[in-house]
Amino acid sequence: MKRAGPGPVDLATLGPAADGATQLARSPTRVVAVTGATSFLGRSLIGSLEEDPRVGRIVALDVVATSPAARKTRSYEVDLTQPTAESRVAEILGAERADTVAHLAFLASPTHATAWAHELESLGTMHVTVAARHAQVRKLILLSHTWLYGAHPSNPNFLTEEHPLRAPMTEPYFADKIEAEERARKLVERSPGTVVTILRAAPILGPNVRNAFTRYLAHRLVPTAMGFDPLVQFLHEIDAIAALHLAVLRDAKGTFNVVGDGVLPLSTVIKLAGRLAVPIPHPIAEAVGAAGWAAQLVDAPAAFHKYLRFLCVADGRKARAAMGFRPAYTSREAVLDFASAQRLRDVKLLSEATA
Amino acid sequence: MTEKKEKPKSDAPTRRAGTEGPVAPERRADRPPRRRRARSRRLEGHATPSPTSDTFEPTVDERGGAPDSDADVAARIRQLEEKLDQMIESRARARGAAERRSPAPGSLVERRSTPPALPEPEGVLGTARELLSTGFYLRRWGRLGLRHRSEEVDEFGYDPVYEHRLLPFFDFLYRKYFRVETHGVERVPNEGRCLIVANHSGTIPVDGMMLRLGVRREHPRHREVRWLAEDAIFHFPFLGVVTNRIGAVRACQENAGRLLDREALVAVFPEGMKGIGKLFRDRYKLQRFGRGGFVKLCLRTRTPVVPVAIIGSEETNPLLARIDYLARAVGIPYLPVTPTFPLLGPVGLLPAPTKWKIYFGEPIRFDGYGAEAVDDEILVGRLAEQVRTEIQSMIERGLAARRSVWFG
Repeated sequence: MKRAGPGPVDLATLGPAADGATQLARSPTRVVAVTGATSFLGRSLIGSLEEDPRVGRIVALDVVATSPAARKTRSYEVDLTQPTAESRVAEILGAERADTVAHLAFLASPTHATAWAHELESLGTMHVTVAARHAQVRKLILLSHTWLYGAHPSNPNFLTEEHPLRAPMTEPYFADKIEAEERARKLVERSPGTVVTILRAAPILGPNVRNAFTRYLAHRLVPTAMGFDPLVQFLHEIDAIAALHLAVLRDAKGTFNVVGDGVLPLSTVIKLAGRLAVPIPHPIAEAVGAAGWAAQLVDAPAAFHKYLRFLCVADGRKARAAMGFRPAYTSREAVLDFASAQRLRDVKLLSEATA
Repeated sequence: MTEKKEKPKSDAPTRRAGTEGPVAPERRADRPPRRRRARSRRLEGHATPSPTSDTFEPTVDERGGAPDSDADVAARIRQLEEKLDQMIESRARARGAAERRSPAPGSLVERRSTPPALPEPEGVLGTARELLSTGFYLRRWGRLGLRHRSEEVDEFGYDPVYEHRLLPFFDFLYRKYFRVETHGVERVPNEGRCLIVANHSGTIPVDGMMLRLGVRREHPRHREVRWLAEDAIFHFPFLGVVTNRIGAVRACQENAGRLLDREALVAVFPEGMKGIGKLFRDRYKLQRFGRGGFVKLCLRTRTPVVPVAIIGSEETNPLLARIDYLARAVGIPYLPVTPTFPLLGPVGLLPAPTKWKIYFGEPIRFDGYGAEAVDDEILVGRLAEQVRTEIQSMIERGLAARRSVWFG
């Protein structure tokens, strides 16, 4: 537990880490650092990597230490919003000889604490990329979102990775994530040897995950835009974890859309989740939504309303071809899996998901 | 959720119990938290005592080497657990006895059988009660959402059930209202990718749907046409969704390319919004064909083009003038002025019942050009112009053969 405490990392005080490091230098296994380790995806990725014999050690970084029960995991407390995070992450990565960093410290739903979110997502990514470059990390994996393409009536039905990111920049939730992607791309420019994999995941659904979209579907009455019924796609949480794991194992440079197969109209999604759609004319919804967000009565700011009106569906063929990623669940199955757990949550037979 | 969180960790220690020596120092460092979890598991497991929790505990103890104080604490907790067990068991026994004593066994069965008999309201009272319950309306509303809709749409949003529901209306338009005639529809290839290029018009364009119906009904293979629609309609509520569900796809290179890659039959109106906004005096004069995007598409995907002239569609809504500046404020490209439109209100937008004829031309192939031809703007422009003149001459021939706007 001592090594999870804050403060500079000293190889001498690490004790077992020193042995492990020398052992690792001889073995070909990987050392994977995971930021945002206590988030749902972070926890699950660590659990998945624990089972993998090709991964020698996992370095978990988060504001709170993860439970040290896992065999290969070392946990460190790092606050990416601190200005000193850069040097601390660099020290940890150097001491642990991490060769891969999976950067998952991103918010899954919008927050009112926009200044803090900016520090965490945009500047946090800068700290991580700088530290990764300093520690000569071989690979950086960044979790991103297909919603960054933005919902526009002029979108093609399937957005490819080359499409510009047109999410509303006035909404910090999107702006910070777009900045984070840019910072990761800057790392490629500065140190061309580094493999940077950006995984743009479709909205993640599943029995355990909790994010902006699961919150939206958790209401009994779900507001929709009157006269609009966009096609939507999802990624099952298992597939999201599998994609991250795959990115750790395979060296795939560049940006990849990670999406489930198939698309569904939003109305069908709401039906499958057993909810009632409440169509609201969008000019009214936007005004009421903005006021509701300011008053902290609704889950998402008005910038998210566009996603209830227009298309934002990504093409996952590149990930299939270059990474060999095959989603196990279709979008529809992801919705059904989410709905089955949500039904139990509705009648308090299942405790509320924590992340 | 908690179960999921525990999972990866919980099987780690059991596996580790059998692992070999070299990990010993690490194991010692991890010991205390692991024990704590084992205990908590034991506490949870008491409701349904599982064999795993019992067998698990001794293995932790046997491994030894733990400080004495830890063992003491463990022993004390085990004592407490046993005491708790006894208390729970005695309480359960007492409650069981009490239940067996108080009601007669028969009444218990009766009580269980009554609830299913309850929700069986009969007659007027029952109907009234159902109509007054909010659940009834919520169910109705919920059903409304998916009425006449299939649960699955294809990847471009086409919903066969939804189209089938609207089909009687479109069939009426096709057979009775416009009395559509097709000529040379067999020139559309029986299979494989193909691009239909046609003239576009009508303030409310239904030519895409009529083309779709024409090919479906008259073509020997009854092929399905997917037509590309301007982005503008996807701005509007209802209009965008309905056109999308009945088979239209937003016009862009990516969508068309993807459809053609799946060997689909795609219809495109290169005139676009300029075609819809043609004034009445410009009818049947083909506008500029965009920037030749459809030619680039054909060159890239090696698709033959079937030129199509639609006669009759350009008189349905004779456009006298366009009002641009007012429309911009509302968000539509222009406000049409027809002999009937602003005068009669929305009814004025109804298309006139003209006689339609759809002429299909011989397929044009661009197979002779290589892949580099896509970047040759001059060549692309020339090919687009070639297709345009072909369609224009088909229109001229069609107009020359026509005797009446209303009867063909």
